[in-house]
Amino acid sequence: MRPVVVAGVGMIPFERRDEDSLMDMLATAGLNAMDDAGLGDRPVDSVYVGNMASGLFNHQVSVASALVDRLSLLPAAADRVENGPASGGSAIKNGFLAVASGFNDVVLVVGGEKMREVIGPKATDIVACMTHPEVEYIYGLTLPAMAGMFARLYMEKYGVTREHLAMVAIKNQTNGLLNPYAHIQMKITMEGILTHPQSHINSPVVADPIHLYDCCPVSDGAAAVLLTTEEIANKLKKPLVTIDGVGQATDTHTLQERSDPTDLKAVTLASEQAFKMAGIKPKDIDVAELHDAFTILEIAESEHAGFFPKGEGAKALERGETQIGGKLPINPSGGLKARGHPVGATGVAQVVELVWQLRGEAGERQVKGAANGFSLNFGGFGNNVLAFVLRRKS
Amino acid sequence: MKTITAYKCNKCGLVMYPYHDRCLNCKGRDFKEIAPTSKGKLLTYTVIEQLPWGMDERGRVLGVVEFDNGVKALGLIKDDAPRIGMKLKVNWEPVREMGGEEIFGLTFEKTK
Repeated sequence: MRPVVVAGVGMIPFERRDEDSLMDMLATAGLNAMDDAGLGDRPVDSVYVGNMASGLFNHQVSVASALVDRLSLLPAAADRVENGPASGGSAIKNGFLAVASGFNDVVLVVGGEKMREVIGPKATDIVACMTHPEVEYIYGLTLPAMAGMFARLYMEKYGVTREHLAMVAIKNQTNGLLNPYAHIQMKITMEGILTHPQSHINSPVVADPIHLYDCCPVSDGAAAVLLTTEEIANKLKKPLVTIDGVGQATDTHTLQERSDPTDLKAVTLASEQAFKMAGIKPKDIDVAELHDAFTILEIAESEHAGFFPKGEGAKALERGETQIGGKLPINPSGGLKARGHPVGATGVAQVVELVWQLRGEAGERQVKGAANGFSLNFGGFGNNVLAFVLRRKS
Repeated sequence: MKTITAYKCNKCGLVMYPYHDRCLNCKGRDFKEIAPTSKGKLLTYTVIEQLPWGMDERGRVLGVVEFDNGVKALGLIKDDAPRIGMKLKVNWEPVREMGGEEIFGLTFEKTK
């Protein structure tokens, strides 16, 4: 396999974007990545679009074909990639393989989702369509409810408290204030979301023990990366950031069939693969973007990805090690919690953030001297997970 | 009582629910259909305050129950004070209305 460079990145601010169609968002993010790379009028061989549910949210399908038309990239190959909340990660994996294998030289990957076109409970229902239709969905199981059942066991087993969960929310929303692309721009305090007797008004129960401020918002947004070879990237102007490791693993569809439901096996396996391929270890990572759709997941993933031993993630968080300026800053972008989680966009947005960090372009939230980055995109409830290791070429 | 069908692998004995075309443990393809026993214990649960579109209620308790014969399944827990490890007995009742039709599923209540 030949090296794959992320030559360009682009995003649009994640928020409620009533004025934009899904296609407007995908097209703008895609153009931003092409322009960031300085691609000019050079051709693009393939386009991969990460999107979970445009048919259900927006009554539009074949969105990759529509996008190449909008961007005048014809006759480029075009595919939509669907892998639930890890659709963006899967789209990047496909783009990576196309360049690494020599099949394509220039690939555009765009992830996007327009979720706010439907009302909140309808969005909850569409997202719940990824649960098992006969043995989960019929009971009214939602993704926050899966997080609730998972969190209850994790908290009991490892001594994680609601205060730890609130610390993740506060850290990530604090980081989000430094990210102009983040959906939630609001400082929160422990008193306001947990300790004040009336804090439950601000942060009501969604699926006990998961409260409102343990959940990512429902957002519209898109993000894009332009992948190419070293040879072509050297002719463009950006500092070289390469995708050195890719991992992906799956786990049982239902939580109940996992012998230990607190063990996120697919996170461990995907991360191990990505590190092995990159030839570096978790301790070599300077910045990580994890999939904190729920606060408990940032803690659990930080352990399963290999950054901390099981049960130590919450302690590292307590010690401030995962803040910007700490030993391993996690989610300097604000994560899904603050940046938002337009499902198909997330895996791409994580890689965009890593590229900004590794190039030193992350502004006020810059992790100083970051050279090695890691991202984790968590599909379903951990039943399909992607991990990436990115490195700055010196 | 009508109930769910679980599957026991004829080769290695693994109990599975829902159905898989090959055994999750040994890849075997022959299964014996088994019914869950009438009682079990609660492994984990949540209380859902924000339900999906079409379900107009608050405080729905869902949990995973391990039956005495090893079948594990999600169901509706009819108890205001659930706790991990509590002993439950199973019923088969409407759990949701979809498209004007009542959908039946597993419900659980505390054993006396």
